[in-house]
Parts: sequence; C-alpha cells; structure tokens
Amino acid sequence: MSHTLVVLWAGLAIGGVFGVIAQRIEFCLTGGLREWWTEGRPHRACAFILAVATALLGTQALAASGLVPLDESIYLQPGFSWLLVPAGGILFGFGMMLARGCGSRALVLLADGNLRSLLVLFCLGVAAYATLTGVLAPWRVALADATTVAPALPAPTLPGLFASWGAGPWVAHGFPAVLFAAALAAVALTRLGLRHATREIAGAIAIGALIPAAWIATGYFGADDFEPAPVTSLTFVAPIGETIQYLMLATGTRLEFGVAVVFGVLVGSVAASVTGRSFELRGFETPGQMLRAIAGGTLMGIGGALALGCSIGQGLSGFSTLAFPALLAVAGIFLGAFLAVRTRLEA
Amino acid sequence: MHRTIARIRSVIPALVATALIVASPASAEAQGNAPWDRVDPAQELLDGATPRAESIQIDLPSVTQDGSSVPLSIEVDHPMRSDDYIEALYVFATRNPSPEVVEYHFTPLAGKARISTRVRLNESQTVFALARTSRGAWLAGTREIRVTVSGCIAQGNAEKGPDFMQTRVRAASRARPGEPLDVRTLINHPMETGLREDSNGNAIPERIVHSFRAEINGETVLTARFHRAVSANPYLLFYIAPGQSGPLHLTWEEDTGETATATAEIPAA
Repeated sequence: MSHTLVVLWAGLAIGGVFGVIAQRIEFCLTGGLREWWTEGRPHRACAFILAVATALLGTQALAASGLVPLDESIYLQPGFSWLLVPAGGILFGFGMMLARGCGSRALVLLADGNLRSLLVLFCLGVAAYATLTGVLAPWRVALADATTVAPALPAPTLPGLFASWGAGPWVAHGFPAVLFAAALAAVALTRLGLRHATREIAGAIAIGALIPAAWIATGYFGADDFEPAPVTSLTFVAPIGETIQYLMLATGTRLEFGVAVVFGVLVGSVAASVTGRSFELRGFETPGQMLRAIAGGTLMGIGGALALGCSIGQGLSGFSTLAFPALLAVAGIFLGAFLAVRTRLEA
Repeated sequence: MHRTIARIRSVIPALVATALIVASPASAEAQGNAPWDRVDPAQELLDGATPRAESIQIDLPSVTQDGSSVPLSIEVDHPMRSDDYIEALYVFATRNPSPEVVEYHFTPLAGKARISTRVRLNESQTVFALARTSRGAWLAGTREIRVTVSGCIAQGNAEKGPDFMQTRVRAASRARPGEPLDVRTLINHPMETGLREDSNGNAIPERIVHSFRAEINGETVLTARFHRAVSANPYLLFYIAPGQSGPLHLTWEEDTGETATATAEIPAA
C-alpha cells in the first residue's frame, strides 16, 4: 500500500473513531459552554478540556521526540495575522453558539437524523471556501498581508520561545505541556468527578489521543522523500468545504486526509446512532431557526477560515502545538461564544 | 497625481496589445483556435507542422489552491521502439509570464513516454503538451486548470539552505517482467524565477537548475530542460525500459555551471 493510501485509510479510521465516541458521549464544546454558563453544569465543557489536555501531552511528546515534523503544519508557519486569527476566532465562537454546534458536532448530529445540521454544514463549507479562495479571498489576503507578524523565534510557539532561551527539546516541550495539561486536567477532573463520569472521561481522553494519532498518520506514515503528505491533524472547517468540493469535482481532484476524516466521522457516528437506536429525523420548525442555522454556519465558515481552524482545528489540534496563533484563536473562540451567550442570541 | 499615473500605466499594456493586433491583421488571420497557434515558442517548434490532437494524456488537478507546486503527469500513448518512438515532449502554459514550462528528450531506453513533475502556474489557464515522434510527426494534448489564491498560508522556504543542490533518487526495488521500471528523482533547489523581490524590494536574480540527464550504462535514457516554471526542488518521475539493469547516473546542471549527481543501481528483472 502506498503511503498516500495509508494516510487516507488512517484518516477514515481516525474519523470513524471520533464519530463513534463523539456520538456516544455527546462531545460538544458549544453545548458544554452553554450548559456551563447558563445552567451551571460544566460536565460537557470539562470533557472537552480533558481532551485538550490529552492532545497537548501527546502532541508535545511527538514534537520533542522529533518523530513528526510539526513545523510543516499551518499552525507553525513563521508569520500569522495578529488581526484575522483572533477576529476569526470570535466570529467562529459566535457562529457556533448561533448554530448550536460546531462543524464536527453538525456532522455527528446529521448522522443522528438532524437535518438542520445539513444546512449548517453547507453554509459552513461554502462560506469557508468563499473566504479561502472565493469572493472574499482578495480581502482576506489583503488584510492578512497588512497585519502579518513573524516573531523572531525558531518556531512561533511556547516551546519555540523556551528553546530560544536555550532549553533542550524535552524541557522546552515538556515543561509547558505538563504545566498546561495538569492545570486543565485538574479543572476538568474535579468538576467531572472520577467515579460518576468514567465513560465521559474515557471518551474525552480517547478523542484527545486522536490528535497525536492524526499527526503520526500524516507526519510519520505520510512522510516521503518525493511526495510527502501535508502534515495536519483533525480540523473541520476547510475539510467540510473540501468535502463539498470533492463531491462535485472528484474526477479532477485528489482525496485528501481531511476529507477522509469527514467521511469517517459520518460513517462512525451513523454506526453509533443506528446501533444505539437514537436515529430520528428532525427538521426546522420555524423560519427563525433556519435563519440562525444559516447565520451560524456562515459565521463559522468565515471565522474558521480566518482563524485557520475551528473549535477542533485550533482548540484541539492547534492548541496541542502550543503555537501563539492557536492560543489567540482559542481565546477568540471563547470570547465569541461568551458574547453570544451574553447577548442571549444563542437561546 | 500618483494614482492617475498608475492608472494610465496600468492601461498601457492593453493599449499596446490592441495596437499590435490592429496593426498586424495578417498574423491575426493566421491564428487558429488551438492554444499552440497562439504561443510563439510552440509555433517556432512546429515550424508550420500541424500536430494531431491525440495520444497525449495530461493529468492535472481541475482546481488547485497552490499554483507554486501543481502536480503534473503526462503520458504519450505511443510505442517506444527503436524505429518509432517519442523523441521529445514539450510542455507549455499559455498564461504564465513565459509559456515554456519544461521539455524532455527520450530515447527508446525510457520504455514509455510518461513523466510526473511539479510545476508553477500563476493563474487559471490552458496547459498543453507537444510531442514529436522519431519519424517527425507531431502530437498534442491540452488540459484546463483553475488556480485560486492560496488557501493556506504555508510559505515556501526558498532560502539557500544547508541541503542546497542535494539530490535524491529512488528506483522501484523490483521490476515487473516486461514492464518499464519507475525512477523518482529530486534535487533541492529554490528555482528562483527572477520575478521575486526580497524583503528590501530588490529583485532576486534568476537562478535555476536548467538541465537534467539520466544515463544507464553510459547510454542516455532521458534528458530534460527545466524552465523557471518548474517548481522549487525539481521532482521528476520517469521510466526505464524493461531488460535494462546496471548503474543509473543522473546529472543536474545549474545556471552557474555547478552540477550535482546521483547514482542508483537498477536491478535485473
């Protein structure tokens, strides 16, 4: 089997596992934040935080060992826009609260028979590609060019900063990773309660572990002297747009890892939904709901494209690299979500 | 004031082009509809011959977000017998700053006239290939491609790094009996187009690897001429006819005259 096929099958498998677990434990940052901030129930948000901690430890171990060339991923590019990354995060966070779920959640809900998600997904994918390469792209490029900064570091990450002070790879990567992961895990585990939520905890750790698994799939098994696979991990903004494009242009394009993951999530969550007997067709009840789905999906597409990732792409994959733009984007996503809750638009 | 001048300047090329077309009705009349009719270097090659638009299969993505490195494969469906083979294959991009992309010269030792490489395409356009058989017949093929702005911010590192002019080669470890054997090659080189500016606004001079030669047991399999539309770190996949074994010698030459070599052992079938 050629290395490109290995990467695609790995993407399908990783997406499949994500789909099964996310369906079963209702893995969702949007719902988690809403329940935490409006109802005082932090459980689902804490499952997300636990996944972040797991992804962080795994990815930093990979980076320190040098097994995966993380510096080739988009998160570690030397320059990033100080304006578009956090602004995109805010748009994305606001949009995901409006649409009541981010891109990956919409895929899982669709597999559950929730047809509202289909509209969210189409709006998200089209808006993402309009921003990346379509009618909005010239503005995106002009704004990005005018606001790009490039810190003078070996890599624009926290470990890169420590390395520039003379720390060796295991210290530079290990110190911030362990510190952050311990703090996040403490926050999550004390609120979840180990005994009451074993299933959620196991599920969240497994989802977090999929992030380093995807880095290994693309960065280690996809490595090749002549045709290396792009080094990437789980993300759901560009790949949802890419999936729509692939459906339309498959004969003239190549299947990429991200699209394989999207298909995998659909397959996995359909399987989990059918075997768990939760499948039920649901649609919109009012035009107002439709409008919110359209607005939410579109904001997520534009915001995710500007911020180079979504709640998964930046929240899990980007954050796991400890890249400065990822930290900015995550802060933006939380701020956007908070604004949506505060303005009661998400209700 | 500046803006007006800039606006007038931006109109000048269009005016000049219009004037040229109006001033030369004969050449306009002679223009056909095929893309090679409108590209001067292709016209010089053809020298009045009309290619048959057949037998050339160009494989390019329909849409690409990265015009700086577009995977391109071309196969000419033609025998490679010593008395009738494809001796040359030329690739053109109609709307690049210069239309020549790359050219290959095969011998029957190549086994099949098929190559893969990566090229630079700066906008949506037609890519076409012309192939000349050893009997002097011309074949042609075309393919459309749409190039969008880059969706990802990955910036190509074109600096002259420590691996500058390093070469890699990998031949298939086992030949299938009767089938040509595939060889992948790569040389680390920025392929400076001469069209870029450095951070101070000074033009970076053109500097490219312009030629490549593959020889087995001292006999030429393929030579190639790279133009500046070949992507950084030129990659080439080519074939060797069945029944050939022994040392394969590869040589790349840069504009400066500097050369790089690589060797691989081609196993017997």
